[in-house]
Amino acid sequence: MTAPLLQAAGVGYSYPGPTPTKALDNLDLDVEEGEFLALLGPVGCGKTTLLRIFAGFLEPTEGTVRCGGEIIQGPGPRLGYVLQEQSIFPWMSVRDNLEFGLVARGVDAAERHEISDELLRLIGLEAFEAAWPKDLSAGMSKMVEVARVLATDPAILLLDEPFGALDAQTRARMQDALTRLWEQRRKTVVFVTHDADEALYVADRIAVLSHRPGRVKTTVAVDLPRPRSFETRFLARFVALKRMLWEGMDSATQGV
Amino acid sequence: MRRDTRHRMLLRAVSVAALAAAYMLVAWRVSRPDVVPPAGHLVEAFADLVGRGYQLPSAPGEEHHHHHHSSDQVETLVRGGVTLQASLAISAARVAFGLLVGLPLGILIGFFMGWSRRADDYLHPIFVLVRSVPPLALITYVMLWLGHSEAHRLIPIVYAVATTAVIPAYHGVRDVASKYVIAARALGARGRLLYLRVLLPAAAPAVLGGLRYSLAIAWMTAVGAEMLMAENGMGNLLVGGGMWASRTQTASDPAVIIVGILALAGAGWAMDALARATTARLTRWVRA
Amino acid sequence: MTAVRIRRAAFALILLAALYGVAAWIGQGRLPDRVWMGAHYVENVQLLPTFPSLFEEAGFLLESGILPASAAVSLLRVLAGLLLGSTVGILVGLATGRASRAESLADPWVSALRFTPALALLPLFVAWFGYGEISKVLLIASGVAVVTLLGAHQGVRSVPRVYLEAAASLGARGAFAFRKIVLPLAFPAIFASLRVAIALAWVTIVVAELIDARMPSLGYLLALSGAYPRVPTMLVSIGTVGLLVLVSDLLALLLHARATRWMGRAA
Repeated sequence: MTAPLLQAAGVGYSYPGPTPTKALDNLDLDVEEGEFLALLGPVGCGKTTLLRIFAGFLEPTEGTVRCGGEIIQGPGPRLGYVLQEQSIFPWMSVRDNLEFGLVARGVDAAERHEISDELLRLIGLEAFEAAWPKDLSAGMSKMVEVARVLATDPAILLLDEPFGALDAQTRARMQDALTRLWEQRRKTVVFVTHDADEALYVADRIAVLSHRPGRVKTTVAVDLPRPRSFETRFLARFVALKRMLWEGMDSATQGV
Repeated sequence: MRRDTRHRMLLRAVSVAALAAAYMLVAWRVSRPDVVPPAGHLVEAFADLVGRGYQLPSAPGEEHHHHHHSSDQVETLVRGGVTLQASLAISAARVAFGLLVGLPLGILIGFFMGWSRRADDYLHPIFVLVRSVPPLALITYVMLWLGHSEAHRLIPIVYAVATTAVIPAYHGVRDVASKYVIAARALGARGRLLYLRVLLPAAAPAVLGGLRYSLAIAWMTAVGAEMLMAENGMGNLLVGGGMWASRTQTASDPAVIIVGILALAGAGWAMDALARATTARLTRWVRA
Repeated sequence: MTAVRIRRAAFALILLAALYGVAAWIGQGRLPDRVWMGAHYVENVQLLPTFPSLFEEAGFLLESGILPASAAVSLLRVLAGLLLGSTVGILVGLATGRASRAESLADPWVSALRFTPALALLPLFVAWFGYGEISKVLLIASGVAVVTLLGAHQGVRSVPRVYLEAAASLGARGAFAFRKIVLPLAFPAIFASLRVAIALAWVTIVVAELIDARMPSLGYLLALSGAYPRVPTMLVSIGTVGLLVLVSDLLALLLHARATRWMGRAA
């Protein structure tokens, strides 16, 4: 039994200021290697804060967070973080965006080109390699952002509500693309969302967070068959799990 | 050409023609060429200032019949060898210097304040104080330190440009660039790569947007400094040429002033068009 | 404003004052104390007056009524110019924003005025209206008018179409829609331009008063203190101008915040 890749123990976080607000309180969470974990919770429960702590941008005011056994010191390519806001670099072409993390590492041009070629194929945007981000749709931009992070071969993928701003159909397509990508590469993923359906569709396990101050209310193992498909959403098991989640979330929103 | 574009151009032309006509009417009715110079005077003054800006060797009485339309002011200027184009060039040079030194200074300070919360907390109050002092109010004080020199005229211009360049740069870094910086750091970018390939392009639209305003302020300050304390440049031309002391002795000629104003407007427009074109070119990637 | 930020701000300002004090004290015996005034030297000039001498000077200027009177005159001119200029500017700007025909008519003049440094108009106004209040107030008004015109124009133009469409489907059109929908949404841009206009007004009045210096006004005080030269007076005058600019700017900011309370962070 290998140790969990990501470990949060007793994590608490308070925002500085005249009246400190506790965003997270005594949160324990383990993420196994190769697992796809969804963080589900109502708006404002601290999901983004937790993800930023995992990504190394914030230090927990209480408790510890470890990746691969070592305390997380700061951001870096090991922790592949994709923001909620659109952050594709608009002044670079799609290919340059994909290669950026590699440039930061000093990888030579030929190798970079190979890797970005592969990624373009993976996300199906070969035709757009030289395009400006302004010519891409929101969904396409997001996929580029995910692929961009994959280029650096991170130990863990941290995705903050990546499909939140998309319409229902695009979102469904993106969820498919992401799960297919994951099924190929088997990265460890922590995926934040407030949509129970989305969490059930993509994840192996769902951690339901309570409302502020956030802690893990309950964990639900998603035993739906992989690979996930269009049919998955209509399985009886899907509906049953969904009910469990809604009940779990409901008590979470009421602060029970 | 589309119909409404033609329509618009027509309206603009009508507007210009109407005001030109109104002006000429007023000039004719008022019939005081020393206050409202008719078009002919304007053209003459222009010609004088552009063409004949050379040293006139002969005695005052003799060339009167050459310049019977011109005023004392034009004569003073012409006698001093002042031409419109030279004055404009000198003013433009001062503006350029102010931009060259002031813009990087202001942008760097703005970047620094936008990047670091601590720096912002310490520097912002000082900036607010400094910004409140009009640049030309300082000119008399600076003169005490540096005497009547080019430096003492240029410092207010640099100061004005720098203070206007800070805020756009500040916002560019703090509000616009921050999310890209986070994404870049998550990808492992640090140091030069982070600053030059991420921060700079991300903040560029905001910074370039403020450029046009800095340009306008630079012209204002340069002209003002020249009106007060220079013996060349457009500001000097507008107040009658000659040094401060002798200025009140020369009756000012509105024809010169109007020609000067039009020339300034032209130069200002040209520089602004250049700034706009440069901005457009550098930010082709911006989402509409 | 959190406690930390206030602390740091106070620290920075106090440090600045302290540095000046130290510089003035060090300079007491070491800085040159005579200045070349173009034709002759003037002795006994304090290039960096110490705090005591500044306070003394400020006290004298306040008590004798010179500073308040000068400040009042300059302030009144600025206010008059602001009022006149912003009224004209905003009205015209709203018109040009609303009707593209009006815009085309006004366009050549606005463009021409935009690129003319406001100060360049001073000699023209002086030639037309003589030295005095009119030319100064008019000068400020022209600069202010251009800035507020552009602000109002932008404000009207940038109203998102969705609001107008929603209004139209509720039966509101024309002048009514303009008053109730476009105007409130244009407010922020108008206010933003007012702030710029205020700064411009002060810059303009200072120079205008320096060029045409007659008692009493802050510009005159500045010019006079430059002619002698009397540095403490000069610095106190500069400080007063700075203070007035700061206060007007803060007031404008406050007004802006109150008027756009309903916008949330978008303003």
